[in-house]
Amino acid sequence: MRSLREYIRLYFMIEAQYIKGRMQYRSDFIISSVGMFFSSLATLGIFWVIFDTVPNLAGWSLMEMVFIYAFYMIAISPMQILFDHAWQLRYHVQQGTFLKYYFRPLNMMFYYMSEIFDLKGLTQLVTGIALLIYASIQLHIDWSLWRISLLFIALFSAALVQISIIVAASCAAFWVVNSYPVLGLAWKLREFSPYPMSIFDGAFRFTFTYVIPIGFVAFYPSQLFLRPQDVSSLVYFSPMIGVGLFAITYWIWTKGVNSYTGTGS
Amino acid sequence: MDLDDIEHSFYNRQSLLFLFYFLGKIMSLIHIENLSKHFSILNRREGLGGAFRDLFSGDYRTVKAVDGISFDIDAGEIVGYIGPNGAGKSTTIKMMTGILKPSGGTIEVNGITPYANRIRQAQIMGVVFGQRTQLWWDLPVIESFKILKEIYKVDQKTFDEHMGLFNDLVDLKKLYTQQVRTLSLGQRMLCDITASFLHNPQVVFLDEPTIGLDISVKAKMRSVIKELNQVRNTTIILTTHDLGDVEALCQRIIIIDKGSVLYDGDIKKVNSLFGAYRTLKLQIDGYNDSTLQTLQDAFTQKFGPEHGIAIAATEEFWTDVTIDQARTPLADVLNFIMTTFTVSDVRIVEISMENVVRKVYDGALK
Ligand SMILES: Nc1ncnc2c1ncn2[C@@H]1O[C@H](COP(=O)(O)OP(=O)(O)OP(=O)(O)O)[C@@H](O)[C@H]1O
Ligand SMILES: [Mg+2]
Repeated sequence: MRSLREYIRLYFMIEAQYIKGRMQYRSDFIISSVGMFFSSLATLGIFWVIFDTVPNLAGWSLMEMVFIYAFYMIAISPMQILFDHAWQLRYHVQQGTFLKYYFRPLNMMFYYMSEIFDLKGLTQLVTGIALLIYASIQLHIDWSLWRISLLFIALFSAALVQISIIVAASCAAFWVVNSYPVLGLAWKLREFSPYPMSIFDGAFRFTFTYVIPIGFVAFYPSQLFLRPQDVSSLVYFSPMIGVGLFAITYWIWTKGVNSYTGTGS
Repeated sequence: MDLDDIEHSFYNRQSLLFLFYFLGKIMSLIHIENLSKHFSILNRREGLGGAFRDLFSGDYRTVKAVDGISFDIDAGEIVGYIGPNGAGKSTTIKMMTGILKPSGGTIEVNGITPYANRIRQAQIMGVVFGQRTQLWWDLPVIESFKILKEIYKVDQKTFDEHMGLFNDLVDLKKLYTQQVRTLSLGQRMLCDITASFLHNPQVVFLDEPTIGLDISVKAKMRSVIKELNQVRNTTIILTTHDLGDVEALCQRIIIIDKGSVLYDGDIKKVNSLFGAYRTLKLQIDGYNDSTLQTLQDAFTQKFGPEHGIAIAATEEFWTDVTIDQARTPLADVLNFIMTTFTVSDVRIVEISMENVVRKVYDGALK
């Protein structure tokens, strides 16, 4: 067995080369980054428009919404940056190019996902961090050491939730020929996560909390910093939810990998 | 000698036999017994309604891709694993490399079951699946090798030696800084082969490594494979449709068709099959229904009844004359035809895999 340290070393080695290679397509990176930046801005624009007509959204102020949105941007970045290859799984499985991932003495999910490192996600991460700082200054959040550690834990769990949902959805490719709608749906759902869950009615809120828990990507964990006094106790379980979901996803992935029979060749 | 001694030597013989049996088992690198792989395939119904019904009551059919094969391969062998399209070659290799779980039977590579020990299996093997590169698409060739060095924990000295060897063999150095995606197919295949031997694996599986390559790259490929097998005693399992590869590399071949082993043994016997046979494709002027008979009669008259020449009309205007050179030299037949008939076009073709298999079925090796 390879140790975690060896994996991390290998990961850096692969990504360093990958980024070097990508730098040939610098314009590619710049354009997609700009695109990503403006699409985030557009969402903020929507908040602006909403708050122009109503003073608050289910009791949440504009600046609080900005904070939640910033949290969301940071939380989905690891999925974007590290697990972007999930999008091509369907292609590899159908073309038979997935076979090669069995041939190295490495964990297959690691090997597969390490093949792409999405640079534009870094832009999103940086934008998110800037926005989070801005919003927390505006909201006078007082960052004690304890709060900061809590923020890291919360972001880590939220990132795991998002990664799990996307990777699990991409695994549909192992069993279904036209699996795109599954991943497409998972991707779309992500857009609901920066909104207060209370604006959704019962069935949706239940789904977003317990079934496909996108509420845990941004809204629920943000409460820890915005309204610490009335956080529901469920929120304290979010690390377990993150780890648990990832374990389930990993199990699905393993099932898929073992049941894959490839294409004729 | 008293009773005790007799008993003693008896036990010794027993244990010796057992030891030999055991050594035999240990020594064969790959042990396959009654191995099979069956795929069940959904017969898809047409249309949207059909697709919906398939969801609930699938109508499955079974494809027996590999159906009860057995063989042992020793360390250091180069084995040609051949057969027509769809014979089950790639499926067998996928089981040997640990991708597919067999439907039945046993498979052991170096004493372990590949499917259940994928990572351990990966450490001791190299694989090339023709035309599908395993290198990092966006990286320069040399960086791919460096990553592999890290993955397989190859030390610097071995790495340098290996790269040196390949520079000598295929002049790889000039490709080092090129991105894999920009390599030509032949260059990429050479890099892939190089990569598959990098960690000094015990066994290398090559599934159609020469497909789509021109003659000179093919020749390079063959010399590389041969050299490595000799220098490092690497076991090599090779599938190919190019009988030239097999002739150049293998001492032993295994022919499979429809998932079963048809022949397993020395190549020499089979060589006489495809080594000696050549087919002349002729376009004869004034071809008509009686042409075949006329040819047949002319051959019998000229070369005697045991001429070993088969005649068939395969495509329009073309007549195939397959010659067993062990009995009648090709040159004589060609000469005779050119002087006796008016021929507008001639081609000489090597015997195809399909023909070899047909001959094996017809009992050519019995
Ligand atoms: N993943 C799969 N699902 C269903 N059937 C398969 C699958 N892979 C292979 N088969 C079937 O199994 C049989 C053997 O295929 P295989 O790829 O092993 O043949 P092969 O000997 O490698 O042929 P070729 O020389 O054309 O590469 C074929 O009939 C093929 O259709
Ligand atoms: Mg094949």
